[in-house]
Amino acid sequence: MTNVMGMNTETTDISVVMRALADPTRRAVFERVAGAREITVAELTRGSGVTQGAISQHLKSLKQAGLVIERPEGRNVYYRAQPDGLEPLADWMNHYAAFWRERLDKLRAVLKDMDPEDPNA
Amino acid sequence: MTTLAVKADTTSIVIDEVFPHRAEVLWKAITNGDLMGRWMMKPNGFEPVVGNRFTFQTTPAGKWDGTIRCEVLEVAPLERFAFAWRGGDEANIGYGSKLDTVVTFTLRKVQTGTRLRMEHSGFVLPKNDTAYTNMGKGWIKCVETLGTVAGEG
Repeated sequence: MTNVMGMNTETTDISVVMRALADPTRRAVFERVAGAREITVAELTRGSGVTQGAISQHLKSLKQAGLVIERPEGRNVYYRAQPDGLEPLADWMNHYAAFWRERLDKLRAVLKDMDPEDPNA
Repeated sequence: MTTLAVKADTTSIVIDEVFPHRAEVLWKAITNGDLMGRWMMKPNGFEPVVGNRFTFQTTPAGKWDGTIRCEVLEVAPLERFAFAWRGGDEANIGYGSKLDTVVTFTLRKVQTGTRLRMEHSGFVLPKNDTAYTNMGKGWIKCVETLGTVAGEG
């Protein structure tokens, strides 16, 4: 049995991050937050074609996924991108990259077994 | 050398290495079920014939039973061997969700042996051009991390 897509704490993160970014509108909201230093719900709503309530819901999901941070100030809440928010995605891919590195090392050993006569081996 | 190629909305893992063996030996090692089992994973029902469906049994995750369902897509002796790699479960979202990827081995004879390029492609990441521009730093960091860590093996 080989653990290729095993469950661990990281998988919860990746699942939440990917779910949060799977929705095109929510991804667009995240992109705008990431492109700005800080931005309010009102600013995000302007010209977005969706209601402020919808934007707030998207921000809530992004916050839960660890992708944005909020900072209340007076009557406003400012949002900015969480710097390490996308790391779970990297972890996910690293898992596969590590898997294949390890397999190709094994392949090297198998080839040597199969073909010990090869002068270069 | 391991690199990470980001295309459109998907990402690939690419490993490119030269093995000091003849292409015939390498071809056998990657297309013979028993030999595959010795270095990759033991395939069930594998035959190196286009259209052949086989599986790899891995550890279950969540609602997914751990079965990787594969289908041979291309068999060009001594040149290219590709198969679909599908796993995960519809019920899972994100990691562990339905994974529809392709593994391609490409062989090329070189002076010191055979060059093998392994590409595992089709990992869907939430990325597009706008995202790349706006999230620039985040993604570059993400890809750099992948390249660095993957290259350390």
